[in-house]
Amino acid sequence: MQADVRGGPRLSEIVGFLPLVIFVGVLVYISLNAPNFVTVRNLELVLMQSLPVVLVCVGLAAVVMAGGDDVVSGGIDLSIPATAVLSAGITAQMLSLDYSLLSCALAALLACLVVGVINALLVTRVGMTPLLTTLAMFVAVVGVNNVITSSRRINVDHPWIIALRGTEIGSIPLGIILVAAIVIIGYFAMHHTRWGLNLQAAGGSKDAAEISGIGVNLLISHSFVVAALTGYVCGFFLLARGSGSSPGVQDNLMLEMVLATFLGAAFSPRRVVTMWGAVLGAVLVAAISIGFKSMGVNVFWTGLIKGSLIVVVVAFSAISQRVR
Amino acid sequence: MRLSMKAILAASCVAFASPALADDDLSLDGKTIGVAVVGTQHFWDREAFNGATSTVEELGGTVVPVDGGRDNQVHADNHDILLNNGVDAVISILGDGAVEPKFEALKEAGIPVFTVDHPSPHAVNNTTSDNYYMGTTIGRYMADAIGGEGKVAVFNAFQEALRICDIRAGLWKYVLEDYPGIEIIQPELAEEFANAPEDARKKTLDLLSQYPEGSIDAIHVGCWDQPAIGVVQALEEAGRTDVLVTALDGGPDTLEIMAEDNSPFVANVAQQPNLIGSTSAMNVARHFAGETLLPQTYVDVVPVNGQAEAKAAYETLGYGSLD
Repeated sequence: MQADVRGGPRLSEIVGFLPLVIFVGVLVYISLNAPNFVTVRNLELVLMQSLPVVLVCVGLAAVVMAGGDDVVSGGIDLSIPATAVLSAGITAQMLSLDYSLLSCALAALLACLVVGVINALLVTRVGMTPLLTTLAMFVAVVGVNNVITSSRRINVDHPWIIALRGTEIGSIPLGIILVAAIVIIGYFAMHHTRWGLNLQAAGGSKDAAEISGIGVNLLISHSFVVAALTGYVCGFFLLARGSGSSPGVQDNLMLEMVLATFLGAAFSPRRVVTMWGAVLGAVLVAAISIGFKSMGVNVFWTGLIKGSLIVVVVAFSAISQRVR
Repeated sequence: MRLSMKAILAASCVAFASPALADDDLSLDGKTIGVAVVGTQHFWDREAFNGATSTVEELGGTVVPVDGGRDNQVHADNHDILLNNGVDAVISILGDGAVEPKFEALKEAGIPVFTVDHPSPHAVNNTTSDNYYMGTTIGRYMADAIGGEGKVAVFNAFQEALRICDIRAGLWKYVLEDYPGIEIIQPELAEEFANAPEDARKKTLDLLSQYPEGSIDAIHVGCWDQPAIGVVQALEEAGRTDVLVTALDGGPDTLEIMAEDNSPFVANVAQQPNLIGSTSAMNVARHFAGETLLPQTYVDVVPVNGQAEAKAAYETLGYGSLD
């Protein structure tokens, strides 16, 4: 009996570590086969390319933490990438019409806040499920952006925007420093403030939180506004990355956001969505993606390899929970 | 054998400024060539990519392929990976303005960039179709097809963003200046870059509901023809095949639609994407052999006017037979 009791947790721990082991194994394999993979420059490249995904993952993590991590009935915000594209679209279009960057940024902020507030109202007041609400919002916001930009690419060469990509402070790119600061602030707010702890309590058990007097709906509303704000900031990084706004960026961003955030849960000890997990997920997906490309893997196979890897990792995570 | 066929074809349209090496002497032995393509979902992109990668390999080089998944920003980011990888040269297929800073960085690092369908000040050479001929020819064909007068809608999302589209759509409009009876419906339509056929299908259905029978004569796609697939679907769904369709690119998928009986898709100008990609790879080898290339290499196009020519072009371009 005692052996079983000891054996149970041990097995689950081993299985629980497998997602991370697989990822590390793949990264080691890539680093042995891809030229210049284990270099500071490549690390910088991985971080730079993952910045937009990291930002939207922070927002999604907040919503999932507030609403619970059931993908269907819990908290989720699929509209963040659309908000990011809206932020980029409004800024690019207004810059092309010679408005100042400040007025562009304010207009984009207002629009993104509207998206966040509408999401919040539809979910908390009207009682719609976040999955459907934010999916519909995604489509609507992309539509609005298509109207604003006429679905056309708009070049942006404003020095402040380009600085997000090009400027370095002490040989570290400014973009990485800014996003790291946002992640740390997000972590502090979610884990070390009363607001953040209440947010997690609301997501952990809505009923229990309500009984203890926590305003669950208000916190859920906050999380949607926070998510919209991460989308807003992400918009500027999209502009910097692409030297402008190109239509169609939202689809890939949404896919990577959802993958990275829920993949991140596989790395967390309790198999729940956390901010660090989401950020780690975003960076690891970027690293593996870049690794496969550097190795010269056939482009027709990379989607399958990436997808399979993620399925394996999430499956091991699910198995470890069952064993537990 | 395949190499020599390709080499002959490529040589027939390579323009070079300095004495050329015989194509058999060209080699990329020991060279690693990054091939970045914006996407591989569409025939044109995929064929240009296949043409470039297979020729690099036939010339003895190693390919590092990267695919942007039809996302211009991912495509641009992929150039950073090639830079970090330390490849000897990069062939970059399509892409919008987002790639320019990446080309600049590659050039600064001493890695020559060869573009396909993307003229750039940072590239050694751009290999492309004769876009000027494409734009004017499709303008004439469309004007003739609607009898020199009528209302025309145009899908034209990329004229401002991509130089090749500016040439094609701009010259189409230039031709129409001589047809005062032809009116371009405003605002112009903007197709999506990804999922273009489905997007164009929906937009065409909306357009048709605004313009009842007899009030629109043609729909033109300004820079490519994937949206035209959706346009034709919408016309058939709405029973409005009296509206004629014209576009550019002429891959097997759209030539097949043109070859159908009573197809509303009446004119196209077919490109040779595989040969374009292959020619670009040959140009890389020429560059390493010390030749000075001209900034632009033009590859021949095949004008396609009507069903019979669609069938003939399908065969000429090696896609099989439609009879």
